[in-house]
Amino acid sequence: MTEPDPTSLAYSGRIPPHAQMAQRARRFGWWYYAEAYLRGMRAYAVPIAFYAVGQPVLYLVAMGIGLASLVSGGVGTVDDVDYLTFVAPALLVSTVVMSVSGEMTYPVMSGFKWQRLYYGPAASPVSAGQIAVGHFTAVAIRFTLQSAIFWAVMQAFGASTQVLTSLLLVPIGVLAAMAFGALLQAYAATVKDEGFQFSFVQRFVVMPMFLFAGTFFPLSVMPVYLQWIGWISPVWHGTQLARVASYGAEVDPWLMAVHLVFLLACIVGGLVAGVRVYRRRLGA
Amino acid sequence: MSTQQTPAAGEARALAARPHRIPAGLASLSSGNVRAVLERGFTVIRNQNWLILVSGFFEPVFYLLAMGVGMGMLVGEVEGPGGAPITYAAYIAPALLATSAMNGAIYDSTWNVFFKLRFAKLYQAMLQTSLGPLDVALGEILMALFRGFVYALGFLGVLAAMGLVTSWWALAMVPVAVLIAFGFAALGMAVTSYLTSFQQMDLINFLMLPMFLFSATLYPITVYPEVVQWLVMAMPLWHGVELMRQLSVGHLTGATLVHVGYFAGMTALGLWLTTVRLRALFLR
Repeated sequence: MTEPDPTSLAYSGRIPPHAQMAQRARRFGWWYYAEAYLRGMRAYAVPIAFYAVGQPVLYLVAMGIGLASLVSGGVGTVDDVDYLTFVAPALLVSTVVMSVSGEMTYPVMSGFKWQRLYYGPAASPVSAGQIAVGHFTAVAIRFTLQSAIFWAVMQAFGASTQVLTSLLLVPIGVLAAMAFGALLQAYAATVKDEGFQFSFVQRFVVMPMFLFAGTFFPLSVMPVYLQWIGWISPVWHGTQLARVASYGAEVDPWLMAVHLVFLLACIVGGLVAGVRVYRRRLGA
Repeated sequence: MSTQQTPAAGEARALAARPHRIPAGLASLSSGNVRAVLERGFTVIRNQNWLILVSGFFEPVFYLLAMGVGMGMLVGEVEGPGGAPITYAAYIAPALLATSAMNGAIYDSTWNVFFKLRFAKLYQAMLQTSLGPLDVALGEILMALFRGFVYALGFLGVLAAMGLVTSWWALAMVPVAVLIAFGFAALGMAVTSYLTSFQQMDLINFLMLPMFLFSATLYPITVYPEVVQWLVMAMPLWHGVELMRQLSVGHLTGATLVHVGYFAGMTALGLWLTTVRLRALFLR
């Protein structure tokens, strides 16, 4: 027997037997949750769109043109390219990573505590793990779009020397964002009270990551005792890959493998931890 | 026992003995008891959120470390007020102080006020007592100023420790930070009183980010075409940044007075508007 198209089900007017519905939910539950979350985003679609376009324009003008005028009066070029080319791929990665913290802190708490959106699906055959993965998937989809918009704005500024390979910036941005997002989701799921935890993450993790992870200047100009902030942050690993894709920055192949493995490891580790916490907390 | 009074009793007597001197025109707006609002504010800080408050101090410090040290390596020296070359760290430090005064005041007078106004209904409760709208407005704004004062003091200490303070005028940066905070807090609260939904609150972010990026914080505004420069100069943060920068090296000109005047005007406008709005909202 062939599997019926799940998308047509809602319109078919035919209600499948309960056992079959449950089986479906057990298989596609993660996507059901992702879809519900994405539909929820429509409520604030206008600010999201505004931000997705406004943010790259603002940052590229301010850093790529304004700050660049000071750099050209100082050292001139950075990493053998002009400052706009140097900073643009890094801005893509770090702004996308920064935005992910908005989707992986309070919305997670809201799912468990304020609106308790997680408990409905958890009472159905959809498993706690699928809810965690579904939330993750929805956020990944949002930031795929946001990365792509940033990429388009970058091209409008002429900020990539290799237009074709620079398309890889989109998956790289998403990879870096979700590496941080998965870890943050797992952490946010453990938070039970709305205290200072999320403000602290914002202030002592997200902010330093933006500032110290080699976005605005190569990590090597910082004193060694500050460089470790870059090494452990997904932003730096993503940024290094993004620079290779955007203007052919010279990075050793083995180091590129390290960057990639680091990001993937964050995603896998974060998701495994997240699924475990969701399971414990949703009592499944 | 008769000679020994408890402090509270003494205080109450002193209050009773001193008649409130409220100008006749303000009698319907104020009971002269701003202190009650402040007392509540400090109790909240002590019991709930002093950690968040203290951590806010680190934000400009991180910026100064990252941009001052890292970008400083790329930029070298830049032209300071009066044309003398200064290090990049010394160039951006006063701008970061002005920005942090703005951020603190805006946060306190927008999100914080919005929550109390629309969700906690705190002001409604306050105005059921003998407090008038002017008491409430002043009390909330003074709390924002207290925070600005503490941050400015801390940041000035960091600047001194980093050897970035070269003039005694730099001491005036603390009261000026309070003045900047006053302007933003007064106007911010007035604007917030018009906003009714979270989506509208996002407007504030849309204004703050470009203002921060373009107000000569990280590079001089001379890189822009003249039209854009005029736009930037109309924004309050630019005046704050210029004012701070002049004070940091002790280069005062006629423009200094203009900047101070801008904030004095902004404060007056904000206070008037806030009071009018609170009266319209609650004392119909």
